[in-house]
Amino acid sequence: MTRAEIVRVDALTKDVRPGFGLRTKRVLHDVTFCVREGEIFGFVGPNGAGKTTTLKILMGLSRATSGSARVLGHDVSETAFRRHVGFLPENPYFYDYLTGRETLDFYAKLCGLSRAQRRERVDVLLAQVGLDHAADARIRTYSKGMQQRLGIAQAIVHDPDVVFLDEPMSGLDPIGRKDVRDLVLSLREQGKTVFMNTHILHDVELVCDRVAIIAGGRIRYEGAIQDFIGAGERLTDLLVMGVPAQVGAMVEERFAAHLQGVGERIEVRVSEKHVDAALAVMLEAGARVVSVSPHRASLEQIFLNAVEESRK
Amino acid sequence: MSWPRGLACIWAIAINTVRESVRSKLLYGLLFFAVLMIGAGAIVASLSYVEGERILQDVGMGSVRLFGVAIAILVGINLIHREVDRRTVYTILSKPLSRGEFLVGKFLGLTLTIWIQMAIMGVAFVGVSLATGAPLGVPHLVFFFLAGVELALVVGIATFFSAFTTPVLAAFFTSGVWGVGHLSRQLRDLGAASESAPFEWATWLLHRVLPDLESFNLASEAAHLLPVTASDWVLPALYGAGYLTLVLFAAVAVFERRDLR
Repeated sequence: MTRAEIVRVDALTKDVRPGFGLRTKRVLHDVTFCVREGEIFGFVGPNGAGKTTTLKILMGLSRATSGSARVLGHDVSETAFRRHVGFLPENPYFYDYLTGRETLDFYAKLCGLSRAQRRERVDVLLAQVGLDHAADARIRTYSKGMQQRLGIAQAIVHDPDVVFLDEPMSGLDPIGRKDVRDLVLSLREQGKTVFMNTHILHDVELVCDRVAIIAGGRIRYEGAIQDFIGAGERLTDLLVMGVPAQVGAMVEERFAAHLQGVGERIEVRVSEKHVDAALAVMLEAGARVVSVSPHRASLEQIFLNAVEESRK
Repeated sequence: MSWPRGLACIWAIAINTVRESVRSKLLYGLLFFAVLMIGAGAIVASLSYVEGERILQDVGMGSVRLFGVAIAILVGINLIHREVDRRTVYTILSKPLSRGEFLVGKFLGLTLTIWIQMAIMGVAFVGVSLATGAPLGVPHLVFFFLAGVELALVVGIATFFSAFTTPVLAAFFTSGVWGVGHLSRQLRDLGAASESAPFEWATWLLHRVLPDLESFNLASEAAHLLPVTASDWVLPALYGAGYLTLVLFAAVAVFERRDLR
C-alpha cells in the first residue's frame, strides 16, 4: 500500500537578486520530490546546493518564484497546519536573555499548548535532549551544541507529525550526534515523518530511508537509501598495524587495494570479495588488525558525481 | 488571523518583548536619566525668580516626552530587523502564527514597555511636583495619556520602517517623521501664507500625510492648568488610533511580502 504524501514539491524554482540590480540568479531549477508518511528523508547536497532555500520555502519563510510546495496537503503559505510541523533551522538562534525552560515554554505557548501541557512537555523534552541540568540557565551561557539540542527540543515541543531538520548534527560532538540520530530514529518509531537537510553522508546512511541529492539547485538523484548503498562494488576498509612495506605493496597489487597511511596504522580499502585473502596475507606477515568496516562508496560516489555534474 | 488563538500568540510575543526590555540594561539607563532629568527640573526651577513651578513641570514633561521618544525609536528601529538578522524569527514563524500576528505582538510588547516606563516617569514627576508644591490636576493626566498615544504611534512608525529596512535608515526615517510631524502645522501655515502655490500644496500634503503629532502635545495646557475638554483628548486619541491602525496594516503588508533569506 502506498503511504500518504506528507511533503510534495513540484517544479519549484527560485530566483534571487544577488545585488541591487535587476539581474536575477536562479538558485532552484524545477525541484520536484515527495516525502511519504513515516519515512526519514535525507535531502543531501553540498553547501550552496539549494537545500536551505528549499527548506525555507517549505517553512513559508521564503517564496518560490514558480512551482508548488505542499506539506500535509496544505499550501506552505498557510499557517494553521504548522501546528503539525516542527522545524529546526541551521545554527538556530534563540533569545539569549531567556533560560532553556522559558524558551521551550514560549514556543509551546505559540503552538497553543495549555499551561499544564507545557509544564509536563517542557520537563520531558529538557531531559530527552540532555539539557535538564541547564534548564534554568540563560541561553547566553549555552554552548553551540546545547543550543542545537534546544533547537531540536523546540522543533518537537508540540509533538508534530512531520519534523524538518536543517543540518541537525551541526555543532555537536560525537555523543551529541549519536543522541540526535537516536532521537530521529525514535521519531520514526513514533510514526513521525522526518525531513533532514544534511551534507554528512554517514548520517544519511545511518538513519534515512530515502534520499534526494541536490546540487546546483537541481535534483540529481532520488530514491531509497538501499538502492544507493547496494549499487556498485562493495568495498571494505581494513585498519591494520605493523604491515611490512613489501607486504603492503603486494596486497595493493594483488587485490587492487588502496593503501593509505594513518600514523603507524595503514588503512586498506579493498573489495569485499578480497577481504579474507588480503587479511590472511597481512596477518601472516605479522600485522595486527585494528578494525574492519564496510565502506559505503556508492552514496559518496553518486554525491560526488552530482556535484561534478552541477559544476559543468 | 485566527481568533482567539491569534490573540494568544500576539500576547505571547508581546510578553516576551516586555521581558526582553525588562532584562535590558540600556532601557534601565535611559529610564535612570529620564528620572534624573525630572528631578533636575527642581534645581533649574530654583534658579528662576518667576514661574519656578511652571519651569519645573515644563522640564519634567519635556523629559518624559523626549526620553519616551528616544526609547521608542532606539528600540523600535531594531524590533523586526534584529529578529530577522539574528534569525530568531525562523523558529517563531515556523509555528502556527502569521507574520502579522508576530509583528503586532512585537509592536504591542514595545508599546507596553514604553507605557510602563512612562508610568515610572509619571510617578517621579508627581513626586517632584508634590515635593516642591507645584500644582497638579486633570490636564497633567491628559498630558500623560496623549503622550502615551503619541509614543505608541512613534513605535508603530518605527516598526513599519524596521519591517523592511536597516536600523540606521529606520532611525533616520522615524526621527524625520517625528520631527516633521511636530512641525507640520507650522509648515502648513507657512505654505498658506506664501505666494507659491506648489509650496502651499506641498506643505498641505505633508500635513495631511504625516501624523500631526502636535495634536498630542498638551504640555502647555498642563503647565498652566488650563481647562481641558473631552474633545481635547478624545479626538486626538481617535486620530492616533486610526493613524496607528493604518501604519500597522502597512507594516504587516510589507512584512508579509518580505523574503526572509
